[in-house]
Amino acid sequence: MNKFWTVAGFTMKNKMKGKSFLITTLIFVLVLSLGSNLPYIISLFDKDNGKATNVGYAIDARTVEGTKIAEQLRATYAGLEKPAIKMVEFPDAGSTEANEKELKKAIAEKKIKGYLLFGPADATGMPSIAYKSEKLNDHNTTQSLQQTIQIVKTDMILKDSGLTAEQRTMLVTPVTLDVMQIAATDGAGGVGNGKTEDQRGVDMGFVTFLLLLLFFGIMVSGQMIASEITAEKSSRVMEIIITSVSPLTQMFGKIFGIFVVSLTQMVAYVVVVFINISLPHNDSAFQQYNIDLTKVDPLLLVYGLLFYVMGFLLYASLFAAVGSIVSRTEDLGQAVMPITLLSLAGFYITTFSISAPDTMLVKVTSFIPFFSPFVMLLRVGLANPPFWQVIVSFGILLVSIYAAGWLSAKIYRTGVLLYGKRPSWKELRKAMKAYKI
Amino acid sequence: MNPLVVDRVHKQYGEKKAVNGISFEVEEGEIYGLLGANGAGKTTTMRMVLGLIYPDEGKILYNGKPYTEEQLSMLGYLPEERGLYPRVKISEQLVYLAQLRGMSKHDADANLKQWLERFEVPEYYNKKLEELSKGNQQKIQFIASVIHKPRIVILDEAFSGLDPVNVELLKSTVKELRNAGTSMLFSTHRMEHVEELCRNITILHRSNPVLQGNVREIKKRFPREKVVLNTDNEVSGLDAIAGVTGVQRHESGYVIGITDESAAAAILHQAMSQTTIQKFEIMEPTLNEIFIKAVGGDLHE
Repeated sequence: MNKFWTVAGFTMKNKMKGKSFLITTLIFVLVLSLGSNLPYIISLFDKDNGKATNVGYAIDARTVEGTKIAEQLRATYAGLEKPAIKMVEFPDAGSTEANEKELKKAIAEKKIKGYLLFGPADATGMPSIAYKSEKLNDHNTTQSLQQTIQIVKTDMILKDSGLTAEQRTMLVTPVTLDVMQIAATDGAGGVGNGKTEDQRGVDMGFVTFLLLLLFFGIMVSGQMIASEITAEKSSRVMEIIITSVSPLTQMFGKIFGIFVVSLTQMVAYVVVVFINISLPHNDSAFQQYNIDLTKVDPLLLVYGLLFYVMGFLLYASLFAAVGSIVSRTEDLGQAVMPITLLSLAGFYITTFSISAPDTMLVKVTSFIPFFSPFVMLLRVGLANPPFWQVIVSFGILLVSIYAAGWLSAKIYRTGVLLYGKRPSWKELRKAMKAYKI
Repeated sequence: MNPLVVDRVHKQYGEKKAVNGISFEVEEGEIYGLLGANGAGKTTTMRMVLGLIYPDEGKILYNGKPYTEEQLSMLGYLPEERGLYPRVKISEQLVYLAQLRGMSKHDADANLKQWLERFEVPEYYNKKLEELSKGNQQKIQFIASVIHKPRIVILDEAFSGLDPVNVELLKSTVKELRNAGTSMLFSTHRMEHVEELCRNITILHRSNPVLQGNVREIKKRFPREKVVLNTDNEVSGLDAIAGVTGVQRHESGYVIGITDESAAAAILHQAMSQTTIQKFEIMEPTLNEIFIKAVGGDLHE
């Protein structure tokens, strides 16, 4: 046990002192700080968005209804406190074509962003309306136009209906539908008394963040373990180490050492994000996007940590085994490819399923060992899996960690003694037999 | 009970027999030579002694006890393929390795300083391995194998890649360790080192121990078949003497092959009758010659 700590301590000390480690950590801290300040930074650039977009229209004698609607629109927008759009009137140039030419010229001169063009009225007395602009999906503008035109239209029709102004306002007020996610049964997710859509958005963001952290944590630390072991092998210091300490102690000491390093890194990242988010200037920026981080379920962090530990152990032992059979660092990338793909698959299942976390694929893969750390975390975070399912997933994961650890230990004992080209499975089995492992 | 006893040990790798029934004992304060061509089974034997792989048959005893993990702390190993952490400070890695062998951090540090003093390189304490020359890295490697005061040290090709000055330095260190009672298992291709250091040897050939025993006795077992003759002037008619198998002319004289020692007298007579003799010696076979004879000349299989 003593030697286990010696190995773990040595691994930690060397890793943390390494330049590359410090630099990557620093880069991640910077990126994360930038990311958590992003809403605020965007809001700084968004200031001029408060200004109304200029939309032009021409008085056109050929479509009286159209002109009327346009003028109503202008009046409506002008009456608003912070209008999203300002209607700009252009005089009649004589024909629809000439009008459009004038309006296009105005766009070119940047007087307006786009313009409305009215066609002849149909049976209901509404003209056809087209919004033309250089930008195809200026969502904010078109949505506002559509809503306001609807109001104007309703107003025009109801003008003579004898309804009071109040009644008319009531009519045109859009219906709001509050969407809540609730849990009908008690589950492992923090759904509880229901989540609003905003909250779901926050959850999604938070779960994405956790999944990213989980994925990178596992990948980076796994690679670290594999390359440490291969480096020891290729520098031949391995020969001395395996004659001083049992390979198992060495392997698990190393895994544990890197685990502590990686965990420290993760905690540092979470703390950095937390500090950045709680900076005062970020408060209003987050509110603007309806992000309320106090609504994040702390239980999710606990689950995240648990899945991180288990996922780490599972992948780390495999990485260690692969590292032990490779003799040169150059060959390592290729050798760890299968493991990398496995974890990538797990990670991609979650990114594709983040908006639909209760599909059959997600349910099934949340029990498959190499995917479950990612997928079950997604389910716990966004769906509401029954508690027993989470326990079963944990159980399967624990068993596979044990199995992977056992297999890796066997491979490791053999692998560290084999030099030269990477052995095939058959050669490895033969060597295991020969070494009586 | 001798510190290290290897008793009829066999090891098979698949179809290939790697070691076929080797037995030897290393006394306290003895350097035991394990000789053999490349691939003869030396490294496998050493790995079995180190407990890295287990013998198929036979047993290895350490102070009378079979292998357990506790034995590791009294074993020291200088592998043939050298290697330490290139980017880690000497002090850190050697203390680490000593700790892995069960030594306390404090003792390891003190020992390291002593050894660096012994090799007259105390300034390496805070250096990284990659900053040192190859010869100095070898010294550090040697320290790594003995820093924890092992009772049994396994030296695989201990002096390879060293300049003559450093070979002498390490050789004297090895002798000191031997005199202090350390048992050593020593493998090398340099026979003159074996003659100087080892009391007993085993020569392995294609996994089989072909020659074993005390170096001096082994030498006596082989006939003396060589005469070295240095004279002032040329000597003629040497190859006509009965029992002479060949005459080689060198700068300062002759090396004459003979079938048995009786021919030597005739050679001496012949030479004396013609010129003044500076040197006349019936040579013992060198270990090198014995080795080549034992393994049949096919060194590189």
